Amino acid sequence: MTEVPSRNAGGHGQAEKPVRLSGEPFAWRHLLYLAPGLALYALFCLWPVIQTIQFSFHRWDGITDARWVGLRNYIQVFTSAQTLTVFGNGLIMIIFYAVLPVLIGLLIVAIMTRIRIRLLSVFRTVLFLPQILATVVVAVAWRWIYAYDGPINALLSAVGLGSLSRAWLGDFDTALISVGLIGTWINFGLCMVLFIGGAQKIDTQLYEAARLDGAGPFQEFMAVTLPGLRGEISIALVLTVTNALRNFDIVWNTTSGGPGTSTLVPSYLIYEGAFITRNVGFAAAASVVLTVLILVLTGVITRLMRSED
Amino acid sequence: MASVEIRNLRKSYATTHVIKDVSIDVDDGQFVVLVGPSGCGKSTLLRMIAGLETISGGEVQIDGAVMNAVPPKERDIAMVFQNYALYPHMTVAENMGFSLKLKKVSKAEIRAKVERAADILSLSHLLDRRPKQLSGGQRQRVAMGRAIVRDPKVFLFDEPLSNLDAKLRVQMRTEIKALHQRLGSTMVYVTHDQIEALTMADKIVLMNDGRVEQMGPPLELYDRPANLFVASFIGSPSMNFFDGTIENGAFRTTSGVVLPLAQIPSGAEGRPLVYGIRPEHLQLGGAGGVAVEVAVIEPAGSETQLYGKLGTDDLVGVFRERLSARPGESVTVTPSSEQVHLFDKATGNRL
Ligand SMILES: Nc1ncnc2c1ncn2[C@@H]1O[C@H](COP(=O)(O)OP(=O)(O)OP(=O)(O)O)[C@@H](O)[C@H]1O
Ligand SMILES: [Mg+2]
Repeated sequence: MTEVPSRNAGGHGQAEKPVRLSGEPFAWRHLLYLAPGLALYALFCLWPVIQTIQFSFHRWDGITDARWVGLRNYIQVFTSAQTLTVFGNGLIMIIFYAVLPVLIGLLIVAIMTRIRIRLLSVFRTVLFLPQILATVVVAVAWRWIYAYDGPINALLSAVGLGSLSRAWLGDFDTALISVGLIGTWINFGLCMVLFIGGAQKIDTQLYEAARLDGAGPFQEFMAVTLPGLRGEISIALVLTVTNALRNFDIVWNTTSGGPGTSTLVPSYLIYEGAFITRNVGFAAAASVVLTVLILVLTGVITRLMRSED
Repeated sequence: MASVEIRNLRKSYATTHVIKDVSIDVDDGQFVVLVGPSGCGKSTLLRMIAGLETISGGEVQIDGAVMNAVPPKERDIAMVFQNYALYPHMTVAENMGFSLKLKKVSKAEIRAKVERAADILSLSHLLDRRPKQLSGGQRQRVAMGRAIVRDPKVFLFDEPLSNLDAKLRVQMRTEIKALHQRLGSTMVYVTHDQIEALTMADKIVLMNDGRVEQMGPPLELYDRPANLFVASFIGSPSMNFFDGTIENGAFRTTSGVVLPLAQIPSGAEGRPLVYGIRPEHLQLGGAGGVAVEVAVIEPAGSETQLYGKLGTDDLVGVFRERLSARPGESVTVTPSSEQVHLFDKATGNRL
């Protein structure tokens, strides 16, 4: 390990070569080729980000002149009881959007590595379907499923548990869980497809070696499947955690944050602040906090899941 | 250590019969090599001994106990796979000690056993590395170390050297053989390389199309091949064959060349036969020799290979002498009549 840097530092002029592909000296002209792409990126990505950060230090209703307020918006984000509940809801969503789908996906893959499942491709397509469907469609379908006169309650009364039936999305106790489970349903197909793909790349001789070494199903999973799926788990978590924290459309189309604030999530709060209550500065500050939260979480996930070598 | 008995073993996938009535005895401490062309069922047979493949018919016994329904981990066998099958996220030491860890052996004992095996295989300085950080030959050794650590009744190897380069293959061949001598364990080794089989085996089992063609000590298969298949499979370059018949006490090929015979088996005269002579059993010159038209000469230092035509038949010769003949020229070679093999053309069996 230690020789590698010192060899480069030895400087035989080789280390620099790959940077200058053509061998001709660097010219500012070269930056010109990057300009169109950079310009578009700056215009549609960097500029809004910078503006948002700028707004977050102002009080602004979107119409009249903005007024500099320093960190007041951020202080509000971190002290307001409502904002904290909303970010708390966002973290709970991670359980339903990310943790549950990954766990269910791993369980099914673990079973599949032991038992060959026929019609795998059909199975896979069906499970992936929620990913392709428009979220609005999914939300409307689930609103119907959860409705007071919907199939869940019908099923409950059919088996004599009618006392449990309720308006699942309208009940303070169940609304958040119900919305969360929609996310589980959507994301678990994604996890499955990622994990099945990953599991198929694992050398079957490894499973046989584990069997000969005396591993049972659980030990085999821990020794072969789980390490083999490390990369896929990392990707799945990054996608689903981001998904969970950004979650807006499902909430908007099912509960609109209600009842009360029980299903209010950060994106919804930001939307409300920016377009309904016209508190743009606060919404911007909340956006910045949310973005930083997503960056930190995904950063931690990728760091933790990266293999040591 | 143990003996392995295979009795009338059969394996079918739906309608394809992969192993057809195979019976083999492996004695305690014997090194048995299963060899044969690709697809002949060697791996399947080995995997049936390991318990990785179900048995369609017949029996596998280890130390006299029928194993057909015994799960792999209870058979007390260790297997070395072609691509090593090392756990990528574990270190060399963890890989080697994994089976003991599953058996709840104490840490200290695992350590001692792993270190002993690492010592045998000169892996001691690599114990903390991961498989990715090893060369092919080192991975191969780790895979063997994993087997040694378990101290199994039987070692099974499935083409363990086929991913190595030629030089390393020769070196590992010797190492495995030395390991066998040191441990004295029963080993069953699969390969498609007849040189590996000849050099390593106490007993070769030559398979073809799910059947055993011949089994016995390596030199027996070389000296007295039971049929044309065995004769052509064992030996490199492979044996020369000439179709023809015995007439007037000599062998006459279909193209009319007369080849010498030491003795004539009774009842061989008159029917279609195949005359077999190994390339290394041809001599240059000599009285009663036959003329061979040279096509290619390949000098290989210690020996020279000659490719040519004997009448209309192809002929390969290997000589210790150096040859200066040019393509198109003719050289005289003499088959050493003691080493001629005669086969029945119709059945392919040795006379
Ligand atoms: N699952 C299966 N279904 C049907 N046929 C199979 C199956 N597995 C193996 N076979 C067939 O069994 C035969 C023997 O396979 P096997 O792997 O034992 O060959 P092998 O002698 O090890 O060959 P190689 O030297 O190429 O490894 C092959 O003809 C193969 O096509
Ligand atoms: Mg094979």
